[in-house]
Amino acid sequence: MTLVDFCNLLINGTIEGLLIALPALALTLVMGVARFPNAATGDYMTVAAYAGIGVQALGGASIILAGLGAIAAGSAIAVVFYLWVLRALRGRPPVASLVASIGIAFFARSMLTLFVGHDQQTFAVPLVRAWNFGGIRLLPTDLYVAAVALLAMAALFALLHLTPIGRQMRAIADNPDLARACGIRSGRVLLALWAVVGVLCALGGMMFGVKAVVSPDLGWELLIPAFAAMILGGIGSPAGAVAGGVLLGIASELSVPFVGPSYKIAVAFALLLLVLLLRPRGLFGKAILAR
Amino acid sequence: MSQRISRRDVLLASAGLAAASALPRFAFAQTAATFRLGSLCPVTGAGSPYGSGMQKAIEIGVAEVNAAGGAGGRKLELFSEDGQTKPDAAVLAAKKLIEVNKVQAILGTWSSGVTLAVMPLTDAAGVIEMNCSGAPAISTQDTKDLVWRFQATNDRFGQAFAVIAEKRGYKRPATMAFNNASGIGNAEGFKKAWEKKGGKLVGSVVYEPNRPSYRTELQQILAQKPDVIVTGSYLPDSTIILREWYQSGQEVKWIMPGWAANPDLVKALGNEVVEGLISVDSVSNENAASFKALDAAYQKATGKPVSTNVYAAMTYDMVMCLALAMEAAGPNATVAQVNAKIRDVANPDGTQVYSFAEGKKLLAEKKKINYEGASSRLDFDQYGDVTPDFGVYVIEKGQLVRRDVVSI
Repeated sequence: MTLVDFCNLLINGTIEGLLIALPALALTLVMGVARFPNAATGDYMTVAAYAGIGVQALGGASIILAGLGAIAAGSAIAVVFYLWVLRALRGRPPVASLVASIGIAFFARSMLTLFVGHDQQTFAVPLVRAWNFGGIRLLPTDLYVAAVALLAMAALFALLHLTPIGRQMRAIADNPDLARACGIRSGRVLLALWAVVGVLCALGGMMFGVKAVVSPDLGWELLIPAFAAMILGGIGSPAGAVAGGVLLGIASELSVPFVGPSYKIAVAFALLLLVLLLRPRGLFGKAILAR
Repeated sequence: MSQRISRRDVLLASAGLAAASALPRFAFAQTAATFRLGSLCPVTGAGSPYGSGMQKAIEIGVAEVNAAGGAGGRKLELFSEDGQTKPDAAVLAAKKLIEVNKVQAILGTWSSGVTLAVMPLTDAAGVIEMNCSGAPAISTQDTKDLVWRFQATNDRFGQAFAVIAEKRGYKRPATMAFNNASGIGNAEGFKKAWEKKGGKLVGSVVYEPNRPSYRTELQQILAQKPDVIVTGSYLPDSTIILREWYQSGQEVKWIMPGWAANPDLVKALGNEVVEGLISVDSVSNENAASFKALDAAYQKATGKPVSTNVYAAMTYDMVMCLALAMEAAGPNATVAQVNAKIRDVANPDGTQVYSFAEGKKLLAEKKKINYEGASSRLDFDQYGDVTPDFGVYVIEKGQLVRRDVVSI
């Protein structure tokens, strides 16, 4: 493997990892604050991506408008399902919410396919040739995808660490009882949480749609990699989710020259196993005592 | 609260159990007057662009047979499930069709992975299996001759690809295959046929489904500087691969199966990317009256001509063949007796017929018939496989233009 090949693989892996990082962030936020694995994450992405397609179909709108439409739809669906279903399950064991979220996932996907069918859709993004730096190829689309993902992450970290609502989210994640004793109104915080989760899902779905194709299975297929990224990074840690996603992406791409493309996913999961053996709480996770 | 089980509870439970175990037999006895079909089309998943249309064509066929008074004295009854283009989901659905609905034939499995997974169940239950899959292994694993294939095998597709590549003067082909029995079957079939002609492949790669990007795989293949890349691929992955290839800027030609390189691909990528791409598909029997009749019914049901979905013609033919075989086997024939008649009604040496009603009439006059399908001439070989002709379509300014028809 030459240096040029290596760089190309590294770029591919990073981009794929950033795509996974967005849903992984959404998962880890819900896991940290609302304390259950949200199996509907993928389908929120799908719905949002279709909303983007819908905005675009309305009249050749720009990709930015499509993105805004996706964000609106993503946060709307996340908030609606919170108010409608998940709010009633607060205080119950996490498995109740998990099962409910699987139900939400099926419901959302079935409703979607009822209206949009099963045909694949694509975003009309102008195709441009890659910039070629002596064999190292860089796609402008990839740069946009990476930029959007990084901006979204920066905004999320700013929200979590610089704003009162973010501080309240972290307080609830740390210790819900103590947060309540301090007068934090968790209802409001959870609404904000689900809106943010919806935005992250929407951006993830949009970026995936721009890079690949939009189909009703888009998000569902990303759920397992996103779970893997979250677990690798440490459950509940936003920085960990990003690191986990990128690490899995790079590991699988770099393994291709050695094991071939058929086994690259297996390599990523082998890495996950190895990390969990050496550091069961994940890269950035805190050791938590089970009550 | 007492947790003890009383004698009455035990009695009740066993009565319930006895009733439950007797129930399926009641259900079966009640409806023995119909022949039960299970439709297992890929309504969702990679086959979704075709699945709904395939199911619609089965419904059209069933309605046609029932309108003609049924076959062999029985009406057809249809139970539909979604195979999801996923073997695990399809196996569950097939189990349900066989055990709960008691179907006597399962129609419309599309992906080879699905057909191969469903076959052991249908074989064990003595149920007829009719599919549009391409994997060569389906022929050899069909030990009871209950499996009927209405699409060309991937091996034959590969042979057609090799004929086309040779005709067009390519010297350095490479292959890219989706990691399933069909994708790999295409690539292997091409390799075998190409090497038989004395050629050599410069590279080959097998890639995973549902990835956001195939740049790494492309990079490996393009590094070998091929002049043409032959694929065993589906629509979504082909969309991504071609987009990334175009953006990479390296010159190469493509030969793709028709289920990947179709108008949806052009729509997804725009005319410039796909210009000159060669799409190969089995050709429907477009001049036959059976095709025209189906086309009219299909347009009415879906608003699209049936030429947009070559598999819909195949699933329609499945119902026709089955119904004609039932008619030939006579009233109250068993599944095995019906199965044994399929070659008799579809293969040559008989009066050519183009619809169920026509065939039924001739069979009543004790004449031998040869059903000419909407999808192909439908002459089954000893494996239950058909050999359609292949259309060579070149994409020019966004249109798939048929430039050649290849027989192998």
